[in-house]
Amino acid sequence: MAVLGDVAGRTPKDRLYGRVVGEVAELASREVPDKLRSNSNENDSVFFLQAGDDGTLKLWVGAGDGLPNLAAIRARKFTSDVPYDLNVKGFNHPFRVATVRLDDGSHIYLGLSERDELRVLNNLRLRFFCLWLLIVLFGSAMVFFVTRRMLGHVREITEAASRIGQSDLSSRVPTSKRNDEVGHLALTLNHMLDRIESSVHQLHTITESLAHDLRSPLTAIRGKLEVVLSGDLKAEQGEPIVSAIDELDRLSEFLNTSLDVAEAKADALRLSRTDVDLDELVRIMIDLYEPSMSEKGLRVNLRSAGPVTVLADDALLHRVIANLLDNELNHLPASCTVSIKLGASEDAATLIVEDDGPGFASEIGIHMFEQRVKGRDSRGHGLGLAFVEAVVRAHGGSVTASNRPEGGALLSISWPRATGEKIEAPHSLTLVNSYVRR
Amino acid sequence: MRLLLVEDEPEIQSFVEQSLVEAGYEVHAAEDGSAATQLASRHAYDGLIVDLGLPDQDGIDLILQLRRSGISSPVLILSARRSVDDRVKGLEQGGDDYLTKPFAVAELLARLRNLLRRNRATSEEATRLRVLDLELDFISRRASRGGEVLNLSPQEFVLLAYLCRHAGRVVTRSMLLSEVWGMRIQPNTNVVDVHVYRLRGKVDTEGREPLIKTLRGIGYVLKDR
Repeated sequence: MAVLGDVAGRTPKDRLYGRVVGEVAELASREVPDKLRSNSNENDSVFFLQAGDDGTLKLWVGAGDGLPNLAAIRARKFTSDVPYDLNVKGFNHPFRVATVRLDDGSHIYLGLSERDELRVLNNLRLRFFCLWLLIVLFGSAMVFFVTRRMLGHVREITEAASRIGQSDLSSRVPTSKRNDEVGHLALTLNHMLDRIESSVHQLHTITESLAHDLRSPLTAIRGKLEVVLSGDLKAEQGEPIVSAIDELDRLSEFLNTSLDVAEAKADALRLSRTDVDLDELVRIMIDLYEPSMSEKGLRVNLRSAGPVTVLADDALLHRVIANLLDNELNHLPASCTVSIKLGASEDAATLIVEDDGPGFASEIGIHMFEQRVKGRDSRGHGLGLAFVEAVVRAHGGSVTASNRPEGGALLSISWPRATGEKIEAPHSLTLVNSYVRR
Repeated sequence: MRLLLVEDEPEIQSFVEQSLVEAGYEVHAAEDGSAATQLASRHAYDGLIVDLGLPDQDGIDLILQLRRSGISSPVLILSARRSVDDRVKGLEQGGDDYLTKPFAVAELLARLRNLLRRNRATSEEATRLRVLDLELDFISRRASRGGEVLNLSPQEFVLLAYLCRHAGRVVTRSMLLSEVWGMRIQPNTNVVDVHVYRLRGKVDTEGREPLIKTLRGIGYVLKDR
């Protein structure tokens, strides 16, 4: 601009116009190289204006006659040396105007239309926005898919793990070849499962071989005693043999129960679950126990809301109920009442066995469900409630025992209901352990 | 009747064999799977008693192998395992039975008799049953002794019916538990005895010959002669 002012000052008036036109044309093409051509061929993006100090138009290069531009410049209250924006009537876009004051008191105004800058700016804005949108969308999509894939894998692992938790120790969580955290998680889980399976397998091996090694001689002894007993013996000779057989039966029952408790505590009890109607089962059991109870002067009553189906290992469930009733039969003094209540909610069946007897001995207290814990006067082997608790826990239920405030013991079992989908019995493990003996 | 006993423990084999022979069976004994297969290919057996834990082979596999070679005689399985394998339960549906060790010889014989009789089929469910002067009518579900109607509960009727069907033979407590009540349990109380005691109170009343006899440590017998 200073150059332009200098040029304007030094150049003779008659040649000035030509030079200015030349300069402006060059400027127009240089300053706004990618301008779009407007409708006319005229150069409307650059103007050059010289105004005398009396406000008359002395020189004009640009589109139109320059009067609106001059009027707009005049309309400004003040002039400044800093370029400013100028709106001119008849032009859609403002001009950026620089001013130089010449020695003769006239002003030179050089205006550059902001049209193309604005267009470039708008273009840039639009592009930037599009690019931003694209990045955001692409990023979201990528995050969505990657997360979904990862979470899908995690979900598979979770599902497999919960399946394994329920019953099937032989299956493994799915692993991928990928060397990421999820892959490591799956591998670690599988290593853990390998160890658990081998521990459980080992436990089965030990319990099976223990059971077998004790059972074979027991069978032989019992058999021989029976052979002797079936011979011609006087009653008093047979008596010790009969009681020996009784003791043997108690021993083997104790052996079975302790192994079952041990396995159930280690979550290794093999369950073969079927639908069992608790109501029917309890009725049969009461029918079985009622004569013995009334013989001892005990009453038993049942309150039930009708059939209650649970998914359970029926042999174990039979033994649980038999254990509870054996317990009452063995511990209650005469003329007590045993009340059995059977209720069911959406997801659990509740069996409450309560009596108005002396209640649980205080010395048993919190050790109620531990093995070998029994009251001072108890004749049992102290496994009854431990067995009940272990089996109920193995089925996913819970047992609570307490003394009723009005006196007497209360045992409450919460047993999960059948959820429709049957849980497969863990055949694989059974097969693994098929034979453990020589 | 000829039986094949497959049991590797010599102690158990000897007393089971002895008891079976005393009960009037002809017994061939094998101590492993291959000996059993050989014997089974040479002789026909009315029944098989197979221990599951054989030194050379799984008992179940042996049974399946024998079945495949066309032997359809009933099998009584002996198992030292506590929880009986599902596969054994599967076999049981085919008419076979199992016993877990330690077992009572009386029970072994009783179950074996059941199996062999079941196999001979034609066990038409009689509508009336008569044992000495005891008479059971399965349609009206009434029992009478010497023409006098006995006042039995439905449960007692089922119990008496079971004893009558096995008249003259030993019935063990666990047989009663599993057949009359459908339970495979071993209560450590005398629940079954009390039932039988009550039944006896109604059947063997004063002045009548006692029919229900207790064999201590073994079970019960209903006299049939």
